[in-house]
Amino acid sequence: MSSNAIFALPLVLALGGTASAESYQAPEDVLQGIIDEVDSDYLTQSEQNLMMMSDNPAYWTAEEGEQLFREKRGPRNASLESCDFGKGPGVLDGAYAEMPRYFDDTGKVMDLETRLVHCMMTVQGFAADDPVVTKRHGSSSDMMRLQTYIASKSSGYKWNPPLDHPLEKAMRDAGEVMFYRRAANLDFSCNTCHGETGKRIRASVLPNMNVPEEWTKAVSWPAYRVGNQEVRSSQHRLRGCYWQMRQGQIVAGSDASIALTSFWTDAARGQPAILPDMKR
Amino acid sequence: MSDYKIPVVAGLATAVVATLVLVGGESAVAESGADTVEYTSMSPEALAEYLIFDARGFDLDQEIQEGGTVRQRLVQDELQKTCSALRGARAEGDTASRVIAKAREAIIYPEGGIKLGDWKKGEALARSGFGFRVGHNIDDHSDREPGGNCYACHQLDPDEIAYGTLGPSLTAYGKTRGTGEAMLKYTYEVIYSPHSYFPCTKMPRFGANGFLTQEQIADIMAYVMHPESPVNQ
Repeated sequence: MSSNAIFALPLVLALGGTASAESYQAPEDVLQGIIDEVDSDYLTQSEQNLMMMSDNPAYWTAEEGEQLFREKRGPRNASLESCDFGKGPGVLDGAYAEMPRYFDDTGKVMDLETRLVHCMMTVQGFAADDPVVTKRHGSSSDMMRLQTYIASKSSGYKWNPPLDHPLEKAMRDAGEVMFYRRAANLDFSCNTCHGETGKRIRASVLPNMNVPEEWTKAVSWPAYRVGNQEVRSSQHRLRGCYWQMRQGQIVAGSDASIALTSFWTDAARGQPAILPDMKR
Repeated sequence: MSDYKIPVVAGLATAVVATLVLVGGESAVAESGADTVEYTSMSPEALAEYLIFDARGFDLDQEIQEGGTVRQRLVQDELQKTCSALRGARAEGDTASRVIAKAREAIIYPEGGIKLGDWKKGEALARSGFGFRVGHNIDDHSDREPGGNCYACHQLDPDEIAYGTLGPSLTAYGKTRGTGEAMLKYTYEVIYSPHSYFPCTKMPRFGANGFLTQEQIADIMAYVMHPESPVNQ
């Protein structure tokens, strides 16, 4: 054998053993990996952000979420460990990267937030108007703690929301229409800001939905928003976008909101998730 | 905090739907109000409209600053429908001509002719992103006027580094073009109804949509055109 082949053999054996299994990768490493592969003004716009990611305050939020996840709570005194997020009860590794998805038990396509609400009510017995269920925003909310923990178990996994069920496809396609839907007195659609590479709104470089390497960061929520000093959810981001577009408030957990998140997750398909992320 | 209001609505809706579906044992069907609707048999366009207007997707009844409700903001006009269908592609041929013609029809010129206003007021308007936002945080127009938010998309004053690039740079706009009648007319028309020149442009129809008044447009024109404005130094 030549000396090249001798070095190549162990590498081939190692790769063969791990090629098919996805596993956790810390968000800062995921992001650095993508930055090393592509040229993107969006991904590299804040050196300070990347430097701070290993100390992301969202890690504490995730730890608090893990405690809440395992705790027996609510009128039914049950933990969320029996909640099915699409890969079986209590299976969290890679589950968030495969959401939104159709659930047989509800007959609906659900994102993480609506699925959590469902389990908090049906498994733990919380009422729909209990603050534990209704308070959706802020690092100190149960919702953000739980979402941050559950999502963190998908960091490094490729976005892969299923489209096998007709309802999954229908929702994703309606979300695509919504993405391009110009409306209200500024004539904006999501595409106005997210259809081109390297464009800025004021000083912020915008992610292009058509570039999955950029879009994976764009849809990596929950993320700690430095300017807000809170961990924010996808629904919070949606709310903010519709607010700035002057189009009125999208209802959190509505099928409209899930259609759009189905589309935007599909647009990041194949790229690894960065969870929890850190943003401006 | 107002974020309790909408999540409760959503939570109740989810609870109601979840209960109905579990008891009924149905699948692939969403229920809204008294009707059962098959999402999978609708076109994506029809489903999107349904989700927005008929499936509690938005807080449609919230009041908006110009009078009326959010529902009006979400109903598309012909220009918005035409441009949305392009999904980011350029408007060309007949589509472009039609959009340009319709956009021109919407232009209302100021009585007494087009004149430059006050560039200092124009600067404040160009910098301000305030106005017309609703939802969880409603912009109150009673003691603060809406701005044009020009810096969101454009470079203007060369000393201002926080500028957007969604639109072309307007630095030295007046210096390079002068303030002749034709240029005044063109500039007014672009701000009022930009599709008159750039069919399906990203830029809002500030005049035609009632976002800025004619006086505000005159002030912004002065900011970009007046020889003493920072934009032209």
